[in-house]
Amino acid sequence: MSRTSIIALLIFGAILGYFLSFGTDTTRKFQSTVYQWLAPLFSTGSGLKKQITTVSTQLKSLQELESQNSGLQVENRQLRATNQALRDVEHEVNRLRHALNYRERSVFKLVPAEIVTRDSSTWWHTVTINRGKEDKIDTDMPVVTDEGLVGKTTTVSNTISVVLLVTDENCKVAASVEGTREQGIASGERVSGAVAPLLNLNFLSKQANLQPGQKAYTSGVGGVFPSGLLIGTVKSFAVRELDGQAKLTPAVDLSHLEDVFVVTGRK
Amino acid sequence: MIFFFILLALVVGAQIAEFYIPPIDWMCNAHIYIVPVIVFYGAMALPFPLMLALVLFAGMLLDSLTVQVIGSKVEISMGWSILLYAVLAGIMHGLRPLFIRGRWEVHCILSGICTSAIILAQYLMITFRRGSVFFSREVWWQIGGPGLMAMLMAPLIFWTLQGVARLTRYPYLPERGHFE
Repeated sequence: MSRTSIIALLIFGAILGYFLSFGTDTTRKFQSTVYQWLAPLFSTGSGLKKQITTVSTQLKSLQELESQNSGLQVENRQLRATNQALRDVEHEVNRLRHALNYRERSVFKLVPAEIVTRDSSTWWHTVTINRGKEDKIDTDMPVVTDEGLVGKTTTVSNTISVVLLVTDENCKVAASVEGTREQGIASGERVSGAVAPLLNLNFLSKQANLQPGQKAYTSGVGGVFPSGLLIGTVKSFAVRELDGQAKLTPAVDLSHLEDVFVVTGRK
Repeated sequence: MIFFFILLALVVGAQIAEFYIPPIDWMCNAHIYIVPVIVFYGAMALPFPLMLALVLFAGMLLDSLTVQVIGSKVEISMGWSILLYAVLAGIMHGLRPLFIRGRWEVHCILSGICTSAIILAQYLMITFRRGSVFFSREVWWQIGGPGLMAMLMAPLIFWTLQGVARLTRYPYLPERGHFE
């Protein structure tokens, strides 16, 4: 091994040792800084993805048109394209109107945010939103939609934040089931092959006998999530050796999330 | 040196791109990883000190963007990905003479295996922290799927990077100078 390689190895070892010595706070700060540096790239990527999706949707319309009357093909193309664009606008308006209504009638102080990226890692379920410290977002703040609970913030930089989804095994939520006195802890599964993973509601009593369709809400225990947020609906219930466990279908379709709200307090 | 900085830029680009690539349904939602393939190419094409620098950068980026700090605990400490990359890239670097002779197939296969090895190591680390070790069909797909995809992507990525190396007149090129 050459002298240069040995020196390089020593420097590498020193830097590695420095990283390995990071504590929780230092890791969070470092992550936040990296996210802040890359925030413009994430925003650009998000915009590009939207454009690509729009173009691909329009191309589908064009393919359909080709099979129709050849004489009207050109005119049809134009009309379809305009229609598609209007539909996109309509969808956007409806989505924003819906969000605005929810924000106005909610008892919480909500900061609206847009999903910038979805999870790229295998073992953690996260999304990135375009709001950060500048919008008074902090770590461990609940993230919701009008349909229910989405997750909580973990790493927060100035303009971008990471949200740990409710479907992650590490996102543990104290829950109560409607119409019963049952309380449990809802969390995601470590590995799920499904597009929409289910949640586990653990530590229920064996006699709970929950029925499919019953709703589970946050109980407010633990301090992170306020009470009354819909987590999901019971899909099945099973008795285990020591407790009862229910499988929940998340209230929010996390695979198609576009807009969310960060709960920063009560009104 | 220009080629090294291009590789760094590509690592950043690929890491960002991974956020926008949807998981593959038929592989139990396995993710696609591009960065390891670029890093392992760098392990073969770059001299040892630059390989370490690339590994350091890619590992730091991976840890910063994926590892989650939950409450007061970090499941995988900062730096573990650097160590994983270093070990696996070191193995790839050891096979560099083969690469210099223009034999890429071993490295393509190894890129896939090493990509899966990274995800397996991550899984083992989080499993030991969370408890209850289990290996279901889904787990194997989540580990093996990205490796398989990396193996399939490797020839194309290697070929592209080879072209970039040639354009930048990077001296460490295979003797035969083309993909076989």
